[in-house]
Order: sequence, then structure tokens, then C-alpha cells
Amino acid sequence: MTMRDLQNSVVHPLPNGRGSATVFDSMCGFRAARVRKRFLRIPQLPPMTGKITRRELLAASAAVAGMASLSSCNREEPLTPSRVSIVRAPAYDQRVYETVRLLLEEHRVDVRGRHVVVKPNLVEFEPESFINTNPLLVHAALEAFRARGAASVRIAEGPGHRRNTLDLADAAGYFKIVPNFEDVFVDLNLDDVTRVRLPRQFSRLGKLYLPNTALGAGLLVSMPKMKTHHWVGATLAMKNLFGLVPGGVYGWPKNVLHWAGIQESIADLHAAFPRQFAIVDGIVGMQGNGPIQGTAKFAGVLVAGGDPVAVDATCCRIMRINPYQIGYLRLATGSVDAQISEQNIRQSGEAISAVATPFDLISEFQSIRLENS
Amino acid sequence: MTIEILAGKQNSDGGWPYVRGASWTEPTVYSLLAMLAAGENERAARGLQWLRRVERPDGGFPPQANVEESSWVTALVALLPPGQLGVAAHERAIRWLLSTTGTETTAVYRLRQWLLGNHPPPEQAFSGWPWTPGAAAWVGPTSLAILALEKEARRRPSAEIGRRIAQGRQFLVTRTCHEGGWNHGAPRALGYESGPYPETTGMALAALRGVHTPEVARAIGMAHRFLADCRSADAINWLRLGLMAHGGMPADYCRPAGVECRTLPETSLAMLIGEVQKGRDVLWG
Repeated sequence: MTMRDLQNSVVHPLPNGRGSATVFDSMCGFRAARVRKRFLRIPQLPPMTGKITRRELLAASAAVAGMASLSSCNREEPLTPSRVSIVRAPAYDQRVYETVRLLLEEHRVDVRGRHVVVKPNLVEFEPESFINTNPLLVHAALEAFRARGAASVRIAEGPGHRRNTLDLADAAGYFKIVPNFEDVFVDLNLDDVTRVRLPRQFSRLGKLYLPNTALGAGLLVSMPKMKTHHWVGATLAMKNLFGLVPGGVYGWPKNVLHWAGIQESIADLHAAFPRQFAIVDGIVGMQGNGPIQGTAKFAGVLVAGGDPVAVDATCCRIMRINPYQIGYLRLATGSVDAQISEQNIRQSGEAISAVATPFDLISEFQSIRLENS
Repeated sequence: MTIEILAGKQNSDGGWPYVRGASWTEPTVYSLLAMLAAGENERAARGLQWLRRVERPDGGFPPQANVEESSWVTALVALLPPGQLGVAAHERAIRWLLSTTGTETTAVYRLRQWLLGNHPPPEQAFSGWPWTPGAAAWVGPTSLAILALEKEARRRPSAEIGRRIAQGRQFLVTRTCHEGGWNHGAPRALGYESGPYPETTGMALAALRGVHTPEVARAIGMAHRFLADCRSADAINWLRLGLMAHGGMPADYCRPAGVECRTLPETSLAMLIGEVQKGRDVLWG
């Protein structure tokens, strides 16, 4: 690394956040903000004042350490373009069954004889809301994977804040939409667990207890809601994997992940599950102060593919967010030009420009807007 | 609801699952509390043996037998009568609780924040309990730890226990949501107010028995509103316990039809509430 590289990588602190520091700010925010800073690189050095403060000294040390760690990930590897589909879906109605079936057909998803685990994003007791993945879409996926010959298809989720998962699923409409829901559902918070050494070690977690249902999946299907996120910018297929971490072991919230670094933990979980497919519920997403307190945002799309990094990068572009500014995407790719580059994504269906719609961002994240960065 | 339901769900190793599958500490403790309250001591014996087997070398208890870390469930184990669990094991569980705190109130963390130039928010002045050591304190584990220590304090009062209970209660009071009650422990994030949950509101109220502050009064009001339309057995259980702790349970309350107990802790806790209604103080000692 040259001095010029280092100078170009100098990390600038974000503007001060709105409001006072709070409990959750301090539990997640310190770490999240530090990671955010690491990825917000501005190609200019700040004016020298001739005086180095304690904070600047510590920040500079952290930046150098961070760069060293990132550079070790920059391996030159040939890249096979990832295929990502964008399809229009104007409403949660019977048409989504056919849309999902065609998506799997297009990607030639082979699940014959395999155990499929469909992982929606269940967060809050909100019927017909834009917080949780819509149950009709999840049921459509369940049916489509069954039709493609899966040995079994389970719906599985471990919410991060609410302990009564089945009650939450009930309130979110799953019992009404999915026949015999309790027979096909696994509460990942209370599933039997196995201790797993994380293959990539982006965070300092090292090992995690993970639910056997997810570990035994022949295909893990991440089905998040397309949402903004007040700590990491956007929550999509990769962030959805937080729901795999068992609350029965780590609690509600799964605070150990916050302390280990939210972005790093997302990248760790992504690496721990190599057999994935992603279908993002972007029919009605959430903008603003997501993932819980934002407002509804109609995007009218489903985004799908076998590479969650490429799917998430595509969703970001639809939301008018710069995927290079999303820390966990950068960590997962290990290089700025890899899976998140549009050139390396084989796009099918609608063009991004045809469906792109800017999602509102809170003030702390204005700089990740595509137009601003 | 009978004790036979619990007996039928007991695993061959003596413990209980949440629904089915391997034994976990939380459903085992709640099932044991219900069994012991019903005088089913012989049936409880195998469950107590399971608990003694899974105790960790540090005196804490893991959430599941194959998890090699002590956690928040230690507070639940400490709710069991020492004479049943074993006096020494119970004493170790209490010691573990007294030595465990949220990382944000440790001296090392505070020093680190000072070096970074960060100013801890006022609510970090009080120490609560984390779900797992090495993380921050939250409302759920803090409430359960207070319940366990309060029960212990009635048996064997000590200044150390009294201090931790007082700190834990202040922790809870400072984490109330703007509209009253508690969520998981983050009433605000990035300057936005977050709303309360029924289950954690009930839990915290149970832990604040005998505490009279405006925050508690507002939480009681919120608990009444939650109870009127709550459809979750877990939440209803904790709301009832929380309101009972403050003598505020409506005399004419009738559990809504169709609300099912979906896990064994829900079933056991509902049985325990039945015992409390009969005047048996099985939770607070």
C-alpha cells in the first residue's frame, strides 16, 4: 500500500447523529458508526491543523488496521457473473404465485430431493404491514419449491426482538395464508443448535451456535423485505440472516452480533451458508427509519437470484443507494469490483432504470444515496 | 390444564423442550416450578437432576445442555428453591448473577469510551444483566435476575444483593418507553422513540414489585391497555404477573378465547399464575 493509497483511504467521520446518544445508540451505534466510517471514503485529505487529538490518533490507527484487514481480502479471482432477475409485481395477490414459479424456472433452481428452508423477515406484530415479508409471497415460494420436487420445504425464522414467534407470525397473517402453518414452521430461536466455526471470520465472533434446521438445509432461501436500515443503510437478503442466530442462546435482541460488529457479523453469516437463493419482497418496502419505524414505499418488484450479494447490490440500485457504500457488501465481496459491480451481474427481466425509485434515507445516511456518492 | 400435560412432555433425559426436541433450561425451570407448586416432587426429581448435570464450572447455567456458556437462564434456575436444586448449586447460581453485569457498565468499557471521547448516556449509570456475558444489559434478563435476587434476599438478606436489586430497578426505570411500559430495552434509537411490548412490560412490572414511581404508574396503565386486546399467551402471562405484583389485576379479567399456549414455558407459567391466584407466592418467595 502506498502513502497515496492510504491518503485516499482516510476515513472521515459522519456528521453528528440526530438526538442524544441513547441506550441503543450506544449498544449498536458506536460499532455501526465506526464501520460506516470505514466504508465512507472520500478521496481528499482533510486540511491539516498541525495538532493531532487523542480521538484522531485512535481513528487513524483504526483506519490503518482496517485497511490492512481489507487489503488481505482483495484476492484476484476470476468471477462468474451472477444472475439476478427483476420482475414487476404490482400487488400481493394471486399473481405472485405464478411470478415466483417463473422466477425459479428462469434460474433453473434444482431442489429435487433437497431440504429447502425458506427464511422470511418477521419483525413485529403488524398485520398487513410493510415491516414483515408478506405471507402470500412466502406461501408462493413454499408452493413453488414443492412443485420443483423438494424433499421438504420449511418456513423458518428467529425474530430479533419478540420472543413469541408463533404469535408474531399469527399477527402477521401467516396462519391465515399458509395452510397448516405450525406444521411447516420452525422457530429458529428455539431450534436445536450446533456450534459452528465461522469460515470467514470477518467479525470477532469466531464460532456461533446455529440452528440445525438452517445448517441442514440443502438450500436456504432468504426472503427479506426491501427496507432501509438505520445502522447499516439497507436490510436485504444478507442482513436477513441475522434471524438465523438463535435467540434461545443469544437473547432478544441478539446483542452479541452488535458487539462483534453488525456489518462483520452479516458477512460472517453469509459465508457460513454457501447454498442460498434470495427472493426480495420489494412490492411494498420500507423507507426512512427502517427496519421498524419507517414508512411504506411501493416499489412493485421482486428481485431474485442465487447470489445474495448480487441480489442485494441490485436492490440497492433500485432503492437509489450506492451498494459500494454498504459495508457488509464490501466485506462479502472482498474487493470493490467484484460481485457488486453492475458489469459482473447478469441482469434479466426489468432494467434497473425502469423500476428504480428512491427510498427516503435518514440524515445519517444521505451520503450513501447514489446521486451523492 | 393439568400437570399431566407437563409430565407427558418431559424428555427421557429429565429436562423439557420448548415445544419438542432437545431439553432446554428455560422450559425445564418453568415446568419444575409448576410441578413443585403442585406438590409433584417425585416427578420433578429427574428434571432437577438434569439441571444439576448441565451446571457450568463458573456456577452459571447454559440455555441448552450442549451450549458451553452460562447465560441469562441462570436467573431462572435461581428461582428454584435451594432445598430442591441443592443449596450449593443455588448459592453458585446467585454468585454468578452477582458477578454478571452488562458490559456497558464495566470499568474497562467506561475507560475505553473515555479514551474515545464518547460520553455515556445517563441511563448507562445503572447496571443490569445481559442475555449473555460480554454484551449489554437488557430488560428481559434484568427483570428475571431481579426476581431471583429478590427471592434470595427474602431468605438471606445481604447488602450486596440489595445493591444489585436497587441498581437493576433503576436500570429498568430509566429504560421506560415514552408512552409507558418497556420494550426489549431500547426506548430510543437515533433520536426516535420506540414503543413498548406487552411481554417485557409485564416482566419489568413483576420485577418492580413494591416500587412506586411515575414510570411504574404509567407502565401499569399501559399494561392494562395491552391486556385488553393481547392475543399472545406469553404476553398475557407476564402482563398478569406484572399487574398482580402491583395489585392491579382486574378482578373480572377473562382470558380471551382462542389464545393458545404454544410453548411449554407458556403452559407452565399459566399454571404458576393459577397458584399465585390461590394465594401461593411461588414467584416472589
